[in-house]
Amino acid sequence: MTAEQTSPVLDVRGLVKHFPTGKRDQVVHAVNGVNFSIRPGETLGMVGESGSGKSTIGRTVLRLTEPTAGKIAFQGQEIAEMPMAACRPLRADMQMVFQDPWSALNPRMKVRDLIAEPLLLHTKMTRGERRDRTDELAGRVHLSTDFLTRYPSDLSGGQLQRVCIARAIATNPKLIILDEPTSSLDISVRAGILELLAEIKQQTEAAVLFISHDLGTVRLISDRIVVLYLGKIVEYADADAVFEDAAHPYTQSLMSAHLPANPKAEIRRHVLEGEVPSPIDMPSGCAFHTRCPVAIEDCRRTEPQLEAAGNNTHQAACLRILDGKNRID
Amino acid sequence: MNLLQVRDLETHFISRDIDNRVRIAHALNGITFDVEEGEILGIVGETGAGKSLTAQSVVGLLRPPARIVGGQVRFEGRDLLTMSEDDLNAIRGNDIAMVVQNPRTSLDPLSRIGDQLIRIRRAHSESSEAEARSRAVEMMTAVGIPDPELRLSAWPHELSGGMAQRVLIAMALMNEPKLLIADEPTTGLDVTVQAQILELLRDLVTRMNMGAIIITHDLGVVANFCDRMAVMFAGGIVETGTVGDVFENPAHPYTSNLVDATPERLKIGRKAVFGGAPPDLYNLPDGCHHRDRCRFAREECSTPPPLREVGLKHVARCHFAGELPETAQ
Repeated sequence: MTAEQTSPVLDVRGLVKHFPTGKRDQVVHAVNGVNFSIRPGETLGMVGESGSGKSTIGRTVLRLTEPTAGKIAFQGQEIAEMPMAACRPLRADMQMVFQDPWSALNPRMKVRDLIAEPLLLHTKMTRGERRDRTDELAGRVHLSTDFLTRYPSDLSGGQLQRVCIARAIATNPKLIILDEPTSSLDISVRAGILELLAEIKQQTEAAVLFISHDLGTVRLISDRIVVLYLGKIVEYADADAVFEDAAHPYTQSLMSAHLPANPKAEIRRHVLEGEVPSPIDMPSGCAFHTRCPVAIEDCRRTEPQLEAAGNNTHQAACLRILDGKNRID
Repeated sequence: MNLLQVRDLETHFISRDIDNRVRIAHALNGITFDVEEGEILGIVGETGAGKSLTAQSVVGLLRPPARIVGGQVRFEGRDLLTMSEDDLNAIRGNDIAMVVQNPRTSLDPLSRIGDQLIRIRRAHSESSEAEARSRAVEMMTAVGIPDPELRLSAWPHELSGGMAQRVLIAMALMNEPKLLIADEPTTGLDVTVQAQILELLRDLVTRMNMGAIIITHDLGVVANFCDRMAVMFAGGIVETGTVGDVFENPAHPYTSNLVDATPERLKIGRKAVFGGAPPDLYNLPDGCHHRDRCRFAREECSTPPPLREVGLKHVARCHFAGELPETAQ
């Protein structure tokens, strides 16, 4: 595969994001030392429960929120500490699609102007060129050109999300971040958007970060998957490996909680006890030890690092992998 | 005898427009289904199909302009629709309990959890405060709330979403209902919490031999936790059958599209031909309501389709039920 040889579009090392809580000496540990990279043409799925830091990572990578620490290399260029003015031109190459298309679009702009907006900001296209490009983009997201003269309030959720996707791909970005792009949509339109995303993924060489808590969709779209728990990566592997051969106990229980739309699917369900601990008061050692069925004394003290589990492309952060006792069934 | 029998239930929204002309939205058009003891019926469909309205009509929680204009709802042989409000109040919260989607808005923010549980017990029985309190602790234990005695004095705002949903289920179970209606009980919860709650519901239905209805738009929930399913479209049930039969051999084109639009099926190369606007409930087309969205629509479809039996207790409302060409591509 060519993706192996090319250098990554995005390379994130040791990313940390803490939010102040308003009380002194107290922070929300949203993201706690995350490493990952995405190559051109690769789609990285990011899954985890609410509060695991998925969206914060997506926003921090684009510097929509400022990282507390860590390095973010975009096309080899370090951007984590770059002044915002220098960062802004790069935004043409990094685009984002948000969860809620109703609030992502300016209600007082027509659809045509909304789609042309990134072209206006980031390119030197003439009015006529922008017009042609807008028509072309509408076609690529399968949006009838009749809608171009309408306002967002005239469109359905699925159509609005198509507009958002058209905006995101308008400047041929190198990196697209999709933050729960189908979560707010009804089942009747979700499949259409998923197909569109799969289609766009094939057409572009862009790196895609796909953030979702819907495991079925993530598997459908992603090449590789990162599993987050309390702001840390617990497993990083090929999409199918995560679903079929999860190494980390948390991933195993997460996958067993996934409900495939198939009554014949065999599920060995491992329902976790308790709830996710507060990210203000992080557990010591392995963050998962408070709920882990195979935790030992050492898990309380030692923080596990991502290490090879199985083959080279499959990594997990669990102490029990060493003694082979990481299976929870 | 069936626990709940719903026959030809029709609910309309009757209002007047700006010119004082009567406008009628045909929100439910002849809903027929049964629920037996010890089984879970899943009702699925897209937004606006009438799933929640069905539940509200059954328990008599409609508000104007919604009005039941026809049909029967029999619970243990008694017609709920012709019953006096007092008789109905003796059944609701007692023999029929309901769990709604948003637990936070259905808990009284100004009462402690314990008081709310005790109140619902004492409203329907002669039990003493102490008796009701021990029952509350018992139910909170049953739904997996840790430290139930301590939590009795918790306020609703102190609970997480998953916890609040459990309290709501505990509340529904306080009077040992015979029928439990859960309207999107896990929408918006994380998959691990969703699995915990559904696992719990399933277990309670078996143990207490209750009948249950789970309303959802997630086919994964139906596939894994329901015995039978009813598929709704535009205010009508288009197909009912056991979960296995309906997933294996969907007889109605809408059902087959719905099943094909799940990520699992998209993965194996099915093409979703799904979506499009639902019919206007103010102005329903003659004949089959699915006609405009149906790939197989023919001339016959302009007459109302019959309920055709395609298998044992497996029926679909389509002229060509069971005779559709194979949709795999």
